[in-house]
Order: sequence, then C-alpha cells, then structure tokens
Amino acid sequence: MKKWNRRQWMVLLMMISLFLLILVTGGGLAFEEAAGATDFSRRNLAPCVEYPFGTDFMGRDMFRRTVTGLSVSIRLGLLTAGVSAVIAFFLGLGAAVLGKGADALISGVIDLVMGIPHILLLILISVACGKGFWGVVIGISLTHWTSLARLIRGEVLQLKESNYIKIASRLGHGKLKVAFAHMTPHLLPQFITGLVLMFPHAILHEASITFLGFGLSPEEPAIGVILSESMQYLVMGRWWLALFPGLLLAGVVLLFHFLGQGLLLLLDPEQAHS
Amino acid sequence: MKRHYLWKKSRGKRGAAAVLCLALCAAGLSACGSGTGSSGGNAPAAEAGGEDGQPGGSLGTGDRESVVVVMGPTSEPEAGFDPAYGWGAGEHVHEPLIQSTLTVTTADLEIGYDLATDMQVSEDGLTWTVDIRDDVKFTDGEPLTAEDVAFTYNTLRDTSSVNDFTMLEEAVAVDGDTVEFHMSRPYSIWPYTMAIVGIVPEHAYGPDYGQNPIGSGRYMLKQWDRGQQVIFEANPDYYGEAPKMKRVTVLFMEEDAAFAAVMAGQADVAYTAAAYSDQTVDGYELLAFETVDNRGFNLPAIPSGITDEDGVPLGNDFTSDVNVRRAINIGIDREEMIQNVLYGYGTAAYSVCTKMPWYNEASEVEYDPDETGRLLDEAGWIMGEDGFREKDGVRAGFTLMYSAGDSVRQALSEDTANQLRELGIDVTVEGVGWDVAYDRAQSTPMMWGWGAHTPMEFYNIYHTAPGGEYAQYSPYSNKTVDAYMDAALASSDLEQSYELWKLAQWDGETGVIQQGDIPWIWLVNIDHLYWSRTDLQIAEQKLHPHGHGWSIVNNVDQWSWE
Repeated sequence: MKKWNRRQWMVLLMMISLFLLILVTGGGLAFEEAAGATDFSRRNLAPCVEYPFGTDFMGRDMFRRTVTGLSVSIRLGLLTAGVSAVIAFFLGLGAAVLGKGADALISGVIDLVMGIPHILLLILISVACGKGFWGVVIGISLTHWTSLARLIRGEVLQLKESNYIKIASRLGHGKLKVAFAHMTPHLLPQFITGLVLMFPHAILHEASITFLGFGLSPEEPAIGVILSESMQYLVMGRWWLALFPGLLLAGVVLLFHFLGQGLLLLLDPEQAHS
Repeated sequence: MKRHYLWKKSRGKRGAAAVLCLALCAAGLSACGSGTGSSGGNAPAAEAGGEDGQPGGSLGTGDRESVVVVMGPTSEPEAGFDPAYGWGAGEHVHEPLIQSTLTVTTADLEIGYDLATDMQVSEDGLTWTVDIRDDVKFTDGEPLTAEDVAFTYNTLRDTSSVNDFTMLEEAVAVDGDTVEFHMSRPYSIWPYTMAIVGIVPEHAYGPDYGQNPIGSGRYMLKQWDRGQQVIFEANPDYYGEAPKMKRVTVLFMEEDAAFAAVMAGQADVAYTAAAYSDQTVDGYELLAFETVDNRGFNLPAIPSGITDEDGVPLGNDFTSDVNVRRAINIGIDREEMIQNVLYGYGTAAYSVCTKMPWYNEASEVEYDPDETGRLLDEAGWIMGEDGFREKDGVRAGFTLMYSAGDSVRQALSEDTANQLRELGIDVTVEGVGWDVAYDRAQSTPMMWGWGAHTPMEFYNIYHTAPGGEYAQYSPYSNKTVDAYMDAALASSDLEQSYELWKLAQWDGETGVIQQGDIPWIWLVNIDHLYWSRTDLQIAEQKLHPHGHGWSIVNNVDQWSWE
C-alpha cells in the first residue's frame, strides 16, 4: 500500500472533522423539537441504552439536548466568527492602506479592545444588547476581531513594500484597487485560517458567558445552560449531566482546531512543503 | 477547652476502631494542609454520636446549647438587622429574633401578644390603642417604653422601602406603657403588621443600626461575617421564657454547598430542595414543613389592545375569556404535578391563602379534564387535527413565563405546559428576568410565588390598584370583590374581618374562584425541606410563608437536643 504523506493525512483528518461537525449540526437541527421536550416520568435517569447521556430533572433527553446545544453553538460560532473575520479583514486592510491617520485610529481601537479583559467586554456588550441570541452574537463579533486584524495589517504592511504592489501603484492603480485586486488574493490563506481558528474561541466564549448567565436564555438548549445547570446536581451524584456535554464541547472545539491546523498546513506556502 | 475534653473522652471510649478511623481521617486531611484540623476533627465525633448517643449535640461535639443552621445566600439581610430595611418585615416575613414585636402570630396564624398586654381599636377603625409590658429592657440595660414603640413605627412609616405603612398617620406614646396608632384609613389587619415589626431603641438607633442592632428579643447579634455567617447569643435578661438554645449560628450557602455541609457533618439543620429528597445522609433526617409558600400563574382577565400610562401593553385575548380560565383551573392535575416536580413534597393550592384563617374553602376544585373540554368547546375553541384547539383560525395557547434560574418554577411551568397541551392548549415556556417580568406579566401569564401571614397579600393581588383601573400584578377588576375587601379592612373586629375576606373570595354569586372570575390559577404549596440531625428536636412550626429562609428559626429558642 502506498504510504500517505502528511498533507494527505491532513486532508483525511479535515474531512473527518468536517463530517463530524456537519453531523452534529444536522443532528441538532433534527433534534431541535425533541431536545426541549419534558417528560417527568423519565426524570433523573442514569445513562442507559435508550438515553445514552441520561436525563435531567425534567426528564429531558440529555443526548438530544447536548447535540442540539452544540449545534446551536456551532451555528452561532460560524456566524460570529464570520462577522468578526470580516470586521478584522476590512479594518486590517484599511489600517495598512488608507494612510497614517486611519492606521493610528484603527491601531488605537485594536489596542483599546485588546486592553480590556475579553470576557468582561463580552459580558458588558451582551448585557447592553439585552442578552439572548443577539446579545451573544454582537458581543462575540465585536470582541474577537482584534488579533486577526493586527495580523492582516502586518501582512499588508509587508506586501506594500513588495515590488509587484509598487509597480501596480506606479501604473496608476488606485489604493482600493490595489488592495482588493492585488493584495486580497495574497491575504486569503491567512484570512481563512484565522477565520477557522476563531470558531473554537467563539464557541467557548458563547458557552462561558451563557454558563455565567449573561448569554442565551435558560430554556434554550445551549451547552452553557446545560453545564451551569449540571453544577447543582454534581453533589447528588448525577455526574452524567456534566461529563458528556463537557466532553462533547471539548471534542467539537478540538475538531475545529484540527480543521484550522489542516488549512494552515495546506494553504500557507511556507508550511505547504514541510 | 470543654469541647476538646469531651472529644478526647469519646475517642478513649471507642478504642481501636476510633483510633484507626482518626488515623485515616488525619491521612486524608494532611493533603489539605494546616487549618482544617479542628473542623475535620468533628467528623469522627459526629459518627460516634450517631451510634451510641455520645456525645451528639451540635456538630457532634456534645454541645447541647448550640445549633448551626444553613440558609440560602439570599436570606442574608443585605442592609443588616434593621426592621426599616426589611429585617422581619420585608418581602419574606418572619419573627425578628433580636427585637421584640407587639403581637405574634400563633400556630394557627391568629394573633397573640408579645410586648402587648392589651389592644383596642376605635369604632371607626382609625385609632388603635396598645398597652405594653413595663418590665422589658433592651440588651443595653435601658427600659423599653411606649416612646420607643412610637419611634419605631414613625421611623418605619418614613423610611421603610419594603413594606407599606401608608395607612399609618402617626404613632403616639400616650404614657410610659400605652401607645396609640392614628390611622389614615381603617386597617383591621394592623395586628399582622405589628407581628413583624421589631421594636428598636430610640436612644441607640442610627444609620449603622443594621450592623449593631440592639433589641429586647430572645437573641443578641454576636457576630456577623458578611457573606458567610451570623452568630446569635441568647439574651440573658429576656423577659419571657429563657431560650434553650444559647447560641445560634446561621450559615449562608447555595443548595449544593448546604448539602455538602450536611454530608460533612458541618451543619445541624440545612435547607434543601425536593430534588435532593432521594438522597440519604447518615445521622440526618429529611424534615418537611407545610407552607403557604404557593406557586401559581396569573391569567390577564381583559382582552389585549390597551396600554397603561407607561405604555405597557395590558391584557391577553385568549385568557380574557372566563370559560378559558375556568377550563385551565380544572384541567390541571395538581397531585400529579406535586409528584412530578416536588417529589411528593407539597400540597395542592387553590388559593393564595390556603389554610389561613381567612381562607374560603369553596376555592377547592376537582381535576376534571372532561369538563375542561366542554368549557373550551363552549367558548368556541374546537379541537383541530393537529391536537390543538382553534377558534377563527387562531390556535389556543399562551406563553408561560417563569423567573430564569428558578428550577422549581421552570419545572412547574413545563409540567403545566405538558398537561395543558394534552387538552389542546399550546403553551410555550419562557424564562425571563425580574427586570422585565412585572411589565410583561400584564399581558402574559407568569409563574409567581406568594404566601404571607397577612390577608394584605390577597388584597394586593386581587384588589384594584389605588388610583388604577386594574389590580397591580395582572389586569383584573371586580367592584364587588373590592367592596368586600374594603369592608374587611374597615372592620373593627379582626374575627369578623376574616368572614369578609372569605366573601371576597366567593359570596355565592361572584368572586375570584372557579365559579367566579378565576383571574389567577394556584397550583401548589411547596413544602419547606430541611436536613436535620436525628437527635435535634425542632419545635413545631407554624405554616411557613413564602421565602425558604428565616421562618425555620422563628422558635429556635425552643429547640432542644435529645
């Protein structure tokens, strides 16, 4: 049998990761209705064949609830990471291309946002936006763009010194045309990798502010809600309420990490041949 | 020293097994570092108490004059032990322990005397004259006089932010042991207010009174570590029967921490919830006390479309139909709900004031799903093919809100929704914060918790709000019901007023029960559950009001160790 090289292994790993993530997302969508269904005749069951993750104090099926919660997290993560990455892209590009004044302003904003502890800013924005779904989306979107913006700004500053960009400018191309037509293709690998690596951050932060009670509302099947609820049942010996959802959350974050690492390996020219 | 000695003795008695046990315990403790030795040392002693009755007592130390009680963190009085800021006379009423009150509520929740020796009300109900004992001293040695009583009430009238004192015009000390209350309107249930207002000393009252309270009650505040514990010591000069428990320590913990404290033997009495009731802890028993701590939801009794002066929408089209409200009331199986949600620890509620002297037993209804169906059919809500009822293309249903984070109210709401769904009513459950709950409840049913030792609560829920068109918490108004309550407050005789309160609930023609307007659905009274050491005798409790907190220690002075 032919021996696979690292890139091929990476592609396989990415395909599996992607497949699993799509499975969880799809499963969550399919379970949406059943996840919230309460049935007091089956409350507080330990894991068994019928309910692999057990049931909670209102007889909700924890497996369906967990998968639905993760599905919500993944979709929320996609949305917030997407918005965040777009903000980062335009601000990063703008900082580097639009001149000294714009650069100083944008760099200042980046420093300002980075200077405030992440979770604190997230909670403040979420609460100001009335918590719930939109509170979380706006909160995470507005706090996660900074490091990617800084990365893109640095990349653009480097590109500006390269000959083909200088030539394009001398040929009379406007600043914006240079930015979008000539720089953007060069920036895409960093951008996409940054975007994917932002998912796990977004998901974990969604889970943590919901856990703290500043995120999604408690009747939604969010993973943060599940975990914070499970805390009070640990002392009663209902370990399954925290263990499985926690493990699965860690698993999903890990899958996104593999995806991001894979992309980095495949897209980044410097690593592509290693 | 004494404690240490007893503990040593027990070890000597129990011989090798105890030594081994201790060694194991010490080995376990060594990992925790220093500082835990003394508290950890209680564990083997506690076990000894469970087996041969020696030494037993508080925390198993053999101390038979102390008790350690665990309450929830919300029971800690934020502003201290000042009646003006809710101590005793707050949202959750209880006896103030540190201070004396003029009256007390008896076991059957009628009125008895504490400081008062006699009490009279004028014919017009506008003047209350109360004679007080003249042998009472504050714990700083100063005598308690009618001036202190008048000062207390006038202060509360001006500053109390949690209790309504608008009916009091002025309290006047007539002589050393007589005080007169001049009312602005008749208020026959004034003795119930007097039962929760602790008398403070005029000479020692100031902004820091909450931190350094001086009273004439059974206990003195010894120590208060904010966020952790309060320690009370018995008042040696108490005018009544001397407290049997000389030292009461109250710890504030979350439910799971309270249970952990019980498992570790660090508490004698600890509050707990029904969800823990299937657990067992050696040396402890689960005590359940009946309550009027009820849960129920409001059904806005007017159609939607109008707003109040602040722009808050009022009314709900579905619940505005009285037949719908009646159908819901008898369509809920309360016994099943008690098993499902409260693990059996509760009683069915059909009123906000079940078992109170002013409770009208006509409120009780039978669970009757067939009649529910008939009522809904009659109201025009016809069962559709999808299992939900419809009328003019609109699906029967409503959103039921509960306060986010309260798992019992959440489960009650979900169970209500499950039961009503079977009857064809589509109920959606939503968790909300208290910041929006009050306004939204004007148009959307909400799961509430009530229950107090005064008919005033009934008044606040059902009576048209002063200056308003509807009742305060949920739009509803009935002139006849209002008139009965007004008459009850104006009555010069408390016993008679009970009858008027009953008539307000149902007079044979109109009222707030099933055959009447039924603007609120009452579901259950939640038993208050406690883990208690098996050798601790907790004195008989009167029905606990809403608030799973200080009520348990109302009579801590009469508790004892076997």
